[in-house]
Amino acid sequence: MVERDRIRLWSLRMAFFGVCVVVIFWKLLPLDALPRAWAGPDLIVALSFAWVLRRPEYAPPVLIAIILLLADFLFQRPPGLWAALVLLGSEALKSRAPLLRDMTFVPEWLTVTVVLVVITLSYRLIMAVLLLDQAPLGLHLLEMVMTLLAYPLVVFASAVVLGIRKIKAGDAESLGLRT
Amino acid sequence: MARDRTPSEDFTGPLKRLLLGVLVLCLLGVFLLWRIDSPRVERFRAQIVDHVVPNFEWAMAPVTGFVNIVRDFQSYERIHQQNQELRRELQQMKAWKEAALQLEQENARLLDLNNVRLDPRLTFVTGVVMADSGSPFRQSLILNVGARDGIVDGWAAMDGLGLVGRISGVGENTARVVLLTDSSSRIPVIVQPSGQTALVTGDNTAAPPIDFLEDAGQVRPGDRVITSGDGGVFPAGLLVGRVAEDPGGRMRLRLSADYERLEFLRVLRDHGTESIVSPGQLIAPAPRPQNAGSVSENGDG
Repeated sequence: MVERDRIRLWSLRMAFFGVCVVVIFWKLLPLDALPRAWAGPDLIVALSFAWVLRRPEYAPPVLIAIILLLADFLFQRPPGLWAALVLLGSEALKSRAPLLRDMTFVPEWLTVTVVLVVITLSYRLIMAVLLLDQAPLGLHLLEMVMTLLAYPLVVFASAVVLGIRKIKAGDAESLGLRT
Repeated sequence: MARDRTPSEDFTGPLKRLLLGVLVLCLLGVFLLWRIDSPRVERFRAQIVDHVVPNFEWAMAPVTGFVNIVRDFQSYERIHQQNQELRRELQQMKAWKEAALQLEQENARLLDLNNVRLDPRLTFVTGVVMADSGSPFRQSLILNVGARDGIVDGWAAMDGLGLVGRISGVGENTARVVLLTDSSSRIPVIVQPSGQTALVTGDNTAAPPIDFLEDAGQVRPGDRVITSGDGGVFPAGLLVGRVAEDPGGRMRLRLSADYERLEFLRVLRDHGTESIVSPGQLIAPAPRPQNAGSVSENGDG
């Protein structure tokens, strides 16, 4: 039993890592060299938030930090800043997870919105204070909105495909019995 | 099992928090290090790209090809219309081709008359585009040639026709090309035929604006824009594009390079422009021994 749970734990952690690597891979594909007027969602952030709120043990902070730092390096962002902010945001969400566990999806979505807005604004603020080159504000806000719109889809997909659901009262007991 | 889980969680709680704090400090430390000593961290970034991206290469080429096939397939819907357009364009192109051939012959004749030798050191390395920047905020590409092939930071990258960008960040097997459309790109150019110098400043749009024109009145839409070579970073005389005017009356650059299909790029080897460092000196015959001089004078007389 214990052995099987450990396998499940590590395979889902690997799945998290794998999905993030696929997202990075997809973004790196050289499909269009022309600058676009729109920005896609930051799926890695949506995925981390969704998993942290549901099964934090499958998305441990070290893994999130490694993936986001890698993404920072590959996507030519200032390395470390976005990773640190997302990590702090996911911890803030994790501390609120027990409250959100018994509520519907809407309060959870609102909480995620608040956290994402706060980290996006502080990202831009820190960049402005340190006099760094910034992306256009509109494009950045668009990316944020797209991430928020993609969030329910990410939640749905991870529930259907990988079985990442919220821990309910009944589940907690069975989980406790199993481990 | 269920019972001894709770105390262990109580025990690991503070440890986890400590770990989290250390993680965040590490990440912020990397960021601050990057802010303070950017070149070193950028070199590190180039090395990471160099190690990670080639691992994706086996999958990238087929997936990119597949997506392009799907896109092309979608364009089949308009195939008849496209066919008509292409025929019309082909007709025009034939006329241009005739003109180009005549000009080429004339040019070859004139070069022959002048006995011009084109710069033999202007050679290039061709690389395949492996990946793009992955972010909507940055415009860059990663090529599969790097320090191994002698690529150096700052060299110009072109497609068959026009300038595409410059090398910035070289790994062992990969190099990053910052495109002219990236917001950190600044290229000194000359607008022909008026000879006005200007700067092409990338701003994340498809047509970057032309800034710092001395006299904008002399520049007309359709004028050719070539690199000026000012600052010694770029070779001079590379075609960049043509001037276009946007609805706001601002001069912008329509790029000659086909940014929608960048697959192979030429990286031009640049050995730097030679500069004149010393003021003119007295030109005198080299001092020679007295005897030899008298002998030669005798011989002349």
